[in-house]
Amino acid sequence: MSEPIHMKQPAVADPERRRILRLLGKGSVVAAFIAQLGAAARAFYPNILYEPPTRFKLKRPGEYPPGFTFDPAHRLFVVREQDDFHVISAICTHLGCTVQWRGAEFDCPCHGSRFKPDGQVIGGPAPRPLAWFDTELSPDGFLEVDSAIDVKPGFRLAAKGKA
Amino acid sequence: MRERMAKLWRAVTWTWSPESERESSEAIVRNLWLHWFPAKITRAAMSWNYSMWLGTASASLFLILTITGVMLMFFYVPSTERAYGSIKDLEFAVSFGRILRNQHRWAAEGMVAIVFLHMARVFFTGAYRGQRAANWVVGVLLLLLTLLLSFTGYLLPWDQLAFWAVTVGTNIAREAPLVGGTISFLLLGGNQIDQQTLLRFYVLHVFFLPLLLWILFAYHMWRVRKDGGLAAVEPIRAERTMRPKEMPATKSYSMFGLTPGTSVQVMSSTDLEEQDLVTSSPNLTRRVMLVFLAVQNATLLAAILFNAPLEEAANAAVTPNPAKAPWYFVWLQELVASTTVRIGPFTISGGFLGGILLPGFLLMVLAVWPWLDRSPKNAEGRWFAKTRRNQNAVFAAAIVAIVILIIIGVFLRGPYWKIYLPGTPRPEMPKVF
Amino acid sequence: MAKQEKSYEVTDYGWLVAMSFVFLALVAIALWREVFPSWRPVQKTFRNDLQKYAGVEKADSFQIGIKQIWIPKINVVDRCVTCHLGYDWGTILPATLGEPLMPHPNLPYMDKHSFQQFGCTPCHGGQGWATTAEAAHGDKGWNDPMLSANLAKRYGLTRGELMQMRCNYCHRHDVATSGMEQINAAKILFKAKKCIVCHTVEGRGGATAPEITYFGDKDPELVDFSHVNGARTLFNWNYQHLMDPDKVSPHTTMPTFNFTPDEARDLTLLLLSWRREIFPPEYIPAPLEASATPTPTASATPSPAASPAPTKAP
Repeated sequence: MSEPIHMKQPAVADPERRRILRLLGKGSVVAAFIAQLGAAARAFYPNILYEPPTRFKLKRPGEYPPGFTFDPAHRLFVVREQDDFHVISAICTHLGCTVQWRGAEFDCPCHGSRFKPDGQVIGGPAPRPLAWFDTELSPDGFLEVDSAIDVKPGFRLAAKGKA
Repeated sequence: MRERMAKLWRAVTWTWSPESERESSEAIVRNLWLHWFPAKITRAAMSWNYSMWLGTASASLFLILTITGVMLMFFYVPSTERAYGSIKDLEFAVSFGRILRNQHRWAAEGMVAIVFLHMARVFFTGAYRGQRAANWVVGVLLLLLTLLLSFTGYLLPWDQLAFWAVTVGTNIAREAPLVGGTISFLLLGGNQIDQQTLLRFYVLHVFFLPLLLWILFAYHMWRVRKDGGLAAVEPIRAERTMRPKEMPATKSYSMFGLTPGTSVQVMSSTDLEEQDLVTSSPNLTRRVMLVFLAVQNATLLAAILFNAPLEEAANAAVTPNPAKAPWYFVWLQELVASTTVRIGPFTISGGFLGGILLPGFLLMVLAVWPWLDRSPKNAEGRWFAKTRRNQNAVFAAAIVAIVILIIIGVFLRGPYWKIYLPGTPRPEMPKVF
Repeated sequence: MAKQEKSYEVTDYGWLVAMSFVFLALVAIALWREVFPSWRPVQKTFRNDLQKYAGVEKADSFQIGIKQIWIPKINVVDRCVTCHLGYDWGTILPATLGEPLMPHPNLPYMDKHSFQQFGCTPCHGGQGWATTAEAAHGDKGWNDPMLSANLAKRYGLTRGELMQMRCNYCHRHDVATSGMEQINAAKILFKAKKCIVCHTVEGRGGATAPEITYFGDKDPELVDFSHVNGARTLFNWNYQHLMDPDKVSPHTTMPTFNFTPDEARDLTLLLLSWRREIFPPEYIPAPLEASATPTPTASATPSPAASPAPTKAP
């Protein structure tokens, strides 16, 4: 057996090439592993929420009587003055209870906060006025509220009330 | 600075590329994850042809299943009302959810197959002889746990397959004499398959059975070490020791000290010579990484190409036609369907004969086989030894029979469990529209 | 030992490198497929349309992502709107956009069947969970296919006519409902032909023939198709059975009523609409007066709009 050893060696005889290939291999595994970690992290970020959406439609403007109408499902008040509408949040800015409309002011049953009709604080522990929600008219004629967007108090949506 | 970085790098990675034999031994012995490997391993054990590394592949699959399984637990809801929807969410609304679920499903089916092949390999190489018999029994338990994990797993989607497979499975359990009714009542959490059944199967599937399997797996690995490594080493050892010699007992261990009689001996490996051994780091570590990567690639490829099936939502009022078990249980279903015996006024249900008695008998025989084996010692550690011909033939025949039953069940059974040969048209199953 | 160890190192390393590349490639493929779903280009086109017809502000506020209508009361999770994005843009987007972006046709009863309250699948069928077209329209493994025009054409119906079957899940106890001409006619026919002399429906009727209260839930496999022409569907069976009872069920005592094909089709729609669907009370319309001929909007059924509680009928 006088065959030289190098005949039995594999095709990759050049140690430098071998080193680069191995480095690429290790790099591939590391890259793939990091990519998988990234995918796992992305998977935990929900794409859909089983929650009521923050943007929702109410009734048609014409169906609201003048004055303050409480919407318990969405925890807000729809305020109609002739043909002008705005929406005030019913969530007390103290610790989140639902305030009640008492004809001339909002009262919170939990810790006694009181608010003016435009949401400003009269008394009690509430730190901020009640929020006003962004309100639009949807293309098919409903009041559409986005409770994630606040607007300045004084906002009015002019909507011809439908019969 | 560069020197310090190089030193830091070396300090972190020396285990995986040792530069001396001493470093190689220390890499194994001083490492928490690696110290269950021996410092040196025989070349016979490194052989691809001997073991085909099926055991490593099984462990790799179980690791993949554990990781994908834990991730799935963040999305799956074990409620009869919401389980199906949560699976649909995984498929359509969770980023990478489809791949995650697919990989879990195909790894599970792969594990059943690979574990079975691993067992066949151990049998055909006679690697359960002598003190390896204990490990063989542990292996049989591991096989059983794998099948149970699979069974509890496919109930969870709460689709038609899930519901009716569990109906059949628990009804078979009920056929067990004396304890059958109680076992069924405990499994179901009642008399009917409902929320409490789903919850029990869920906890079994995500906690108890995996825990048991990991513990037994650890014991399985420990025993491999204590038995002196893979049985492939035995022919070499026999060769090295020209005359029979009493193995010196260097240490003795037992699990919890409860084993009666002679305790486990650690086989001294002093009869093996240098030419037989290679260092575990990096050879064994590299090989294990290779096997794991290959298995991961296989399951990922399957996950990309094939969607895990999901039938319609579970409907207690409608039994699918035909209602088939998954392929690895369909041979049992064939047995159960064809072993109802009527002698005069007496009927013995196929559920009992084919579902409990026959599989139970097979399992028992499998477990005690090492003590039934009468072949000489030189038959262990190699494939298809001549002196083992008869028992190998029996085992092979059993495998062939099971495979034939699987083929019949999967491909030839149609509606109403009738046989439809390939080529014969199946009747069109009626629909509403 | 060094030489043999080298051979392990070389061959194993070779395979390890190869497997590593394969791993990276597979992960890349897996990521690619998930990052570029089929609904994304549809949404991008919609955003362009929004910009064209509704202005830059609306287009900018449109977010790309899976969208769904979730109505827990009736177990509806409808992701159809991930592609069918124009559904409530009827006043701004034109119908010429074509499917899937075009707005929902403004049918007369849309007022009382808002998207927020009904979603899509209660009327159209299909698989709401899905975010791919084939799965959403009801492929294999989903037994409630979307009622498409093609499906309706198979039975000589228009899609609107076929969909009346689903309307009747809630409107079952209406005497007549505007927009449900086929079902209305079938209800009149059902009364006129006195089917309940032999059949029992909701506890009333004879016992000489099978109870048909929930005929739509009948398992198609339990029905004898040996004398039925064409596809083995419950629809076909019922239609042919009504046209010629003796042929489909030999030796039956059911008389031949000599229905016209239209009448038989209408009755089939009616029968298949009788299913055990459970809706909360606010979804069930108050029944019309017995003698009323259907008038379009002045019915007793109030407008549900977005809030659940309808006002009582006068």
